[in-house]
Amino acid sequence: MARESIGRVHFSLGDAARLGYDHIKRRWSRAAINIASIALGLSFYATLVLSDTFYGTYERLGGSQLSVESYQYWLVGVALVVSVVGITNAMLIAVYERYKEIGTMKCLGALDRHIILLFLVESSFQGLAGGLAGFLLGLAAAVASTGFTTGFDIALKVPPLQMLTLFTGSVALALTLSMTATLYPAWRASKLRPVEALRYEL
Amino acid sequence: MSYDYVIELRDLNRHYTMGEETVKALDGVNLEIKRGEYVSIVGPSGSGKTTLFNLIGGLDKPTGGSVFIDGVDIAQLDAYELAWLRCRKIGYIFQSFNLIQVLTALENVALPTVFAGVPREEGLRKAQHILESVGLGTRVHHRPSELSAGQQQRVAIARALANDPSIILADEPTGNLDLNTGMEIIDLLHGLNKTKGLTLVAATHDLKMIKASDRIVWMRDGQIERIERG
Repeated sequence: MARESIGRVHFSLGDAARLGYDHIKRRWSRAAINIASIALGLSFYATLVLSDTFYGTYERLGGSQLSVESYQYWLVGVALVVSVVGITNAMLIAVYERYKEIGTMKCLGALDRHIILLFLVESSFQGLAGGLAGFLLGLAAAVASTGFTTGFDIALKVPPLQMLTLFTGSVALALTLSMTATLYPAWRASKLRPVEALRYEL
Repeated sequence: MSYDYVIELRDLNRHYTMGEETVKALDGVNLEIKRGEYVSIVGPSGSGKTTLFNLIGGLDKPTGGSVFIDGVDIAQLDAYELAWLRCRKIGYIFQSFNLIQVLTALENVALPTVFAGVPREEGLRKAQHILESVGLGTRVHHRPSELSAGQQQRVAIARALANDPSIILADEPTGNLDLNTGMEIIDLLHGLNKTKGLTLVAATHDLKMIKASDRIVWMRDGQIERIERG
């Protein structure tokens, strides 16, 4: 074998997505905890921005002026930080559980960045699911809390484009938080040397 | 160009420092292994068998000396090339099987073909074919937890064969198996060695495995004690 005949290994985004999906499906309880963590933090955020939007719409339609207190945004910030820390913790445990598997994948040809890609793809799935659930929860909570003054049909009176922007923003925020929380655990996993990873007994 | 020796070890050392002390896990090992040879590496635990396995497989770096695979000094390879070598040239078999638990037998065997860049359908077809050849044609959609120990090791062997490697490295492949199942695995490996001309290097305690091999390398205290013809 001449050194020139050595090729390159492959692992596409699609491959990572397929494998990541299998992991989430088979280890559903761990993924569910992460999704719930993101969903709760995000629903708090969504409740506030939606309530604010509903009050704004109500005022534009001739109602009295109401608004969300600014300190509530501080609380949201804290809630989101807490959920990020929770996910980082859960993902670190997931890395320990998967030590051997990571070592095995490296034996089969995985590069460090393939391991990072796999973990980030899994966390993006969880972020998307959490963001979606969180937005719906937040929507329900916002309608319930503002409905008595603004009317329960207020959500339908908000311009669709504004609603879409809020929705996209919320999901994007959830995605970013989930992936940020996974960066360090994924990096740790990728730096594992196969020998150490294979020797590890849980 | 083809080299006579598929594996060559030159003055191979692997030292660990534990506090003040230096432990010589491997101390000046020289060995040539021919293409198609079946070599057993034997010795008491702590003799350096697993260290040797890791170094030949490019899973660990030597403190000194060189490992040549098909004439290439693997210390000269970058991370990408080393990953390719592990993926395409070497098939690994472990005592504890090390299958990916969330994947079916078929997906486990197809995984190395993903890293090799084989299209998915083709990889799955190949995996199916290999699983049939190791006698697991009816079990392809089972997950490792639904298979017996012997069946799991067959899946692991099939996975090791997925990219048509030239070397199979096995670390105590029968260590977690009962006598009969172990015997079946030995026959399977021996058969692959004879019919496909695969080079088989196995670290083992198993007398039946040792008996089947072409050469036996006895290790003691990180050195080769003696080499016997099988």
